[in-house]
Amino acid sequence: MADAHRTVYIVDDDPAMRHSLAWLIGALGVPVETFASGEAFLGVIRPDRPGCLVTDVRMPGMSGLELQDTLARCGSLLSVIVISGHADVPMAARAFRAGAVDVIEKPFNDQVLLDRVHEALEKSTRAAAVQARKAHIQARLARLTPRERQVAELVVAGKPNKVIAAEINLSPKTVEVHRHNVMEKLEVGSVADLTRLLIETD
Amino acid sequence: MRTMPRPSRSTLAGVLVALWAGLGMADTAAAEPPIRVGVLAYRGGDHANAAWEPTVRYLAERFPDRGAEMVPLDLPGMDAAVRDRTLDFVLTNTGNYVELEARYGVTRVATLHSSRAGASGASIGSTIIVRAERTDIRDLADIKGRTVLAGDPDAFGGFQIAWGEMLKAGVDPYRDLKELRFSGFPVDRVAFAVRDGTADAGVLRACLLEELAAEGRLDPARFRVLAPKTMPGFDCAVSTDLYPDWPLARLASTPEDLAKAVVVALFEMPADHPAAKAAGYEGWTVPLDYQSVHALFRSLRIGPYRHLREVSLVELAREHWEWLAVGVLALLWWAIHSLRVEHLIKVRTAELRTANRDLVHEMAERRRAQEDARERQKEMDHVARLSILGEMASNLAHELNQPLGAIANYARGCTRRLEAGTGNPDQLLEVTRAIAEQADRAGQIIARIRNFVRKRPSQLEPIDVNDAIRAAVALCEGQARNGNVPIVLSLAGDLPPVPADRVQIEQVVLNLVKNALDAMAETVPGAAEDAGRKVTVSSARDGEGRVEVAVADHGHGLSEEARSRLFDPYFTTKAGGMGLGLSICRSIVETHGGHLRATDNPGGGVVMRFVLPVANGALPSGEEQQHHG
Repeated sequence: MADAHRTVYIVDDDPAMRHSLAWLIGALGVPVETFASGEAFLGVIRPDRPGCLVTDVRMPGMSGLELQDTLARCGSLLSVIVISGHADVPMAARAFRAGAVDVIEKPFNDQVLLDRVHEALEKSTRAAAVQARKAHIQARLARLTPRERQVAELVVAGKPNKVIAAEINLSPKTVEVHRHNVMEKLEVGSVADLTRLLIETD
Repeated sequence: MRTMPRPSRSTLAGVLVALWAGLGMADTAAAEPPIRVGVLAYRGGDHANAAWEPTVRYLAERFPDRGAEMVPLDLPGMDAAVRDRTLDFVLTNTGNYVELEARYGVTRVATLHSSRAGASGASIGSTIIVRAERTDIRDLADIKGRTVLAGDPDAFGGFQIAWGEMLKAGVDPYRDLKELRFSGFPVDRVAFAVRDGTADAGVLRACLLEELAAEGRLDPARFRVLAPKTMPGFDCAVSTDLYPDWPLARLASTPEDLAKAVVVALFEMPADHPAAKAAGYEGWTVPLDYQSVHALFRSLRIGPYRHLREVSLVELAREHWEWLAVGVLALLWWAIHSLRVEHLIKVRTAELRTANRDLVHEMAERRRAQEDARERQKEMDHVARLSILGEMASNLAHELNQPLGAIANYARGCTRRLEAGTGNPDQLLEVTRAIAEQADRAGQIIARIRNFVRKRPSQLEPIDVNDAIRAAVALCEGQARNGNVPIVLSLAGDLPPVPADRVQIEQVVLNLVKNALDAMAETVPGAAEDAGRKVTVSSARDGEGRVEVAVADHGHGLSEEARSRLFDPYFTTKAGGMGLGLSICRSIVETHGGHLRATDNPGGGVVMRFVLPVANGALPSGEEQQHHG
C-alpha cells in the first residue's frame, strides 16, 4: 500500500525522454509508470490514487497543463511536476495556480528533479492521509440518525441537555439517550473530542 | 665601214662649195673626181650596165673635166653607198628612192620620162597575170587561197604596187594566199611560172609582159591580166594605178651647182639620144610628185613606214579607239571596282573583326555575368537557408535538447544505481545502448542542419523527392511538436527519380512546411481533438507524369495582397521574416524546370504546390513502400 502511494507517473510524447526519465527516477527505488500522452494516462489513473506525475508541457494532443487541469478538476491526489523545454512566466504561473509542485526547465539538474519528486511523493502521501482520515470520520458521522446529528451539533455548541430538550421539544431523558448514542457511534469519550472531530469534517 | 666621223652637213657643204668655186675659177687646174652615179641593178649588173651605161657616158661627155662613173648597186649596196656618201647621184627605182629620201634626205632632181608614160607622166604600175584559160580567177578577190609568184618583196612595180591593189580588193597577200613566193631576179621567171602552171597568178612590172613579148620570149595571148585598168596614154596592160618612174636624185652632200648642172644636162638630152634608147626612155623631165608612193608605202607599212608595222598596236589603237576606250573604261571600272571591293572587304573584315572581338568580349561578359548570377544565387540560397534555420533555431535547439536530455537522464540514472550498488547489468546494458542511440539521434540532427546550411555548388542528380521531404520535415519536427501541429506525410510510393539538387528541394519543402506551421501557430489553438489542426505534406505524380509536392495547412489563408505579392522578394507577413523564402523557393523550382503556385485549401488555409519534371526515360520505381503519415 505504501508503494502504491509512492508511484511516479511519467507522461512525455518523446519515447527516449520518457524512458530516460523513468530510468533516472527509478534510481530512487520507487515504482515508475510511463505514458505517451495525457489521454493515455487519464484512461488508466484513478483520481483517488496518490503519487507523483511528471509531465512534459508540449505534446501533441493534450498538453501537460491541460492534463494538470483535468486531474485537479477530478480531485486527484497526485502531486504534479511540470517539465518544459522553454518555460515562460504565464505558463509557470498557470501551472503553479493549478497546484504544481514545481516547474522544471530542461535541461535540468537531476538532483533537483529527484528532490522535487521526493517532495511531491511526500506531499501526495500527506494529502492521502488527510483524505483517508476525513473519509473515516465521514463514515462514522454517517452512522448517526438525523436526530442524533442534531443533538451532537447542539452539544458541540456548548448547550446543556435541558436547553437542548427545550429547543427540540424532547424530554431531557431522551436527549441524554441521543447524546450517549452519539458518543458511542463516533467513538469519542469527551465533549472536547467530539468537538475536534466535527471541526475536522468541515 | 665607217672609219671617219661623219662631218656635219653644213661643214661639208661649205667645203664642197669652196672646192667647186675653186674649180670654177681654175678650170684646168685640178683633177676633180668623176661624178659618181649609183644605179640600181635590179635585173643584175649586166643589164644595168647595158641600160644605163650610155646615160652615164652622156653625162661624162657633158662634164669632160670630171667625167662620170656609173656604180651598179643592189638594194643593200645602194643603201650602204648613200649612207656612206660615196655617190653624188643615185638613179634608182621609185620605191627605193622614197626610202632613201626618207632615210638619208636624197632629193629627186629629175624623173625619167618613159616612152610609154601616160598623160600624167607616171609610168610604173603592176600587172597581175593568170593563164588565159583560168576562168576560176576572174578578179583580184579570186586569188585568195591561190599560189602567187612575184619578183621580189622589195620590187616596187614587181610587187609592192600590186600588194597595195590586193589590199584594196580585200586580199592580204601575206595572209590570205595559199602561198606567196618570190622568183628573185630576173623577174622574167614569174611569167614563165604562170605560163607553166607552177603559180596560179603572177605579179609583173607593168610593160614587162609587153617587153618580153616584143623580145619574142613568150606569147601574150596565153595570159590574161586581172582587174585591167585603162590609163590615158599608157599602152601597157596594167592592174593598178600608175606611179612616177625612176628619178635621178642627188644626195644631200651633192653641191647645188653640180646638181643643177647635171639636171640641165639631162634635160637637154634629145629624145632620140642613144642613151635614152638604151634604157628605153624618152628623156628626162621635171621631178614628179612622189606623194602617191608615200601613201602606198604608208598603207603597206613598208619602206620609210616600216615602223608603222612595228608599232601596229598604236595603229590598232587608233583604228579601234572606241573598243580600246571601252576596254580601258572597263579596265578602269574593274580596277576601281576591285579597289572598292578590296576596300569594302578591308572595311568589312575590320568591322567583322571588331564585331567578333565585341562578340567574344560580350560572351565573356555574359559568361561572367552568368557565373556572377549563379554565385549570387548560391549565396542567396545559402543566406535563405541560414535565415530559415535561424528562424527555426529555438525549435532546433529544443529538438536537439531531446536526445541530449535523454542521454543526461540515462547517464545519471546509471551513476546513481552504480553508487547505490543497485545496478542490474541487464538494465545497464539496455540503457547504455539507449544512450548511444540518443547520441546518434543528436548527431543526425546536427548533420541535417549542417547539410542544409553548407555552402555548396548546386548539383543535379536523380533524387527521390520523398527523401528530401522527409529530411525537411525532420528539421521541422521540433516546431511541429512545440506548436502542437502534427505534420502528416502522404507520400506516393511510385515516384520516379527527379533530376534535382537535393538540398535545394529540401530547402523548398522546409520553407513551405515552416510557413504552414507558422500560419497554424498564429491561429487560436483549438481543442486537441481538432482534426484540422495539422500540416499535410503529400507527393504524387500529376497528370503529365511530373512529380507534384503539396504542402497544405489550415491556417488563416492568404489576403488578396499577400496572394498577389506572394513571390515578391522582401514581401513578408511575418514579424521576423525576411521575405526571401518563397521568392527563392520559386526561383529554385523554376531552375529545376518546374513551377510553384499557391491555391486555397478547401477546408481553410493554403496549399502550396510545386511540380518537378521527371528525368527523360525515368521509370517509376514503384518498389519502395512508404511508411509515413
